[in-house]
Amino acid sequence: MSQELTHWLDDLLEEIEGIKIRRKSSRRVRADVPADALPALLELLQGRAGYIHLSAISCVDWIEDDEFELVYHVWSYESHSLVSAHIRIAREPGVYLSVYDLYQPAGFFERDIHEMYGIHFEGSPNMEKFILTEWDGPPPMRKEFDSEAYVNEHLNWQEYNPPWLQELIAEGGGVIIPPEEQRFSRKKD
Amino acid sequence: MSSIKQIPVITERKGNPLARVFDEFVRFCRSRSLFILHYCTGCGAIELPPAMTSRFDMERLGIQPMVSPRQADILLITGYVSIKTLKRVILTYEQMGSPKYVIGICSCTVNGGMYWQSYATAKKLDEYMPVDLYIAGCMPRPEAVLAGLQKLMDRIHSGEANSWEDYFRNYDYYLGNQQKLFGENWQTPTDIITEAKHYDLIGEGTLGKHTQLLEQHQKPLEALDMRLGHDLKEPTE
Repeated sequence: MSQELTHWLDDLLEEIEGIKIRRKSSRRVRADVPADALPALLELLQGRAGYIHLSAISCVDWIEDDEFELVYHVWSYESHSLVSAHIRIAREPGVYLSVYDLYQPAGFFERDIHEMYGIHFEGSPNMEKFILTEWDGPPPMRKEFDSEAYVNEHLNWQEYNPPWLQELIAEGGGVIIPPEEQRFSRKKD
Repeated sequence: MSSIKQIPVITERKGNPLARVFDEFVRFCRSRSLFILHYCTGCGAIELPPAMTSRFDMERLGIQPMVSPRQADILLITGYVSIKTLKRVILTYEQMGSPKYVIGICSCTVNGGMYWQSYATAKKLDEYMPVDLYIAGCMPRPEAVLAGLQKLMDRIHSGEANSWEDYFRNYDYYLGNQQKLFGENWQTPTDIITEAKHYDLIGEGTLGKHTQLLEQHQKPLEALDMRLGHDLKEPTE
């Protein structure tokens, strides 16, 4: 049964132009598609293969390639399998189509991605602030946003080094990070 | 040999010779009947149910959870405080009746802990409200929580735990830090300056440039309109 389904799914996916399919395991398929072919792929998967559940849209910021990667995870309750559809869009202007008309939960995911990465989804019902309602800085998950610099600029930090810890360190205990292994800069008062 | 004139005379509380006894008694009672409001902001909250329930049982120390800030004595901040949450924490803290005590549980309340690098969390809780006691750890076990609470009880009994007065005496400092984080239009529904006058706790740091800024834009507080049903109806046009 499952073998038959696999072939059937492969045949179906071959209908999309420029698709690359990688089978990660018996129940996971990764499909890389050009950005303009994604709505057609999702429509096929939803309408003809039973992938009715959009479980998440994730976003990756590939700042060196100047691209955003969007990953649409769709799940089928019939074949118990997950298809992850990967697309790449240009970082500027960072606009893509909404899939709200296919999968209604996409409204929330797109709103979240808009807030965290600043990608605008055309046709999404609501692009208002979602969780960061009191945040007026840049979208914080973009790679060019330096969270550490923001913290150093806006917030103070204090060392926690009570006497009992100093005693432990003097005896050779405690957690000591040598300077060359300290990855982050900490603001000193 | 010391003459009777050399014996120090405590001049305060001259009127009633029993006043100091009463003070001691009041402090004793206060330290034995503590109601905690646990504001579970982060992961440290998971250590509180075992501390409250039969295994460690903080009720044997006279400490009980309480449902509302008005009735609570201790505000437990368990874990990281995001900047959005911090606003609510400050509102909650200001609603509590004095004397009130704040305990910061977990490393995150000390300096941000593992979230020190995050844009969304406040780092030093004691910049925004006076903290009586920190229980550091990630996370502190219920034994540590209980030890910290016992230490707070001792400090209340000995009269050292009076950091709540500091919020009134140095309100300008705390308000300044809050304004730095939340913007200049930050205002809470509680009028701290009037309250400080009420408690007779106006200090040198109560008023300053930050409270001036507050007074410039402060909207007078109005009672909420108590109506049933009207707001729920669809507007008819």
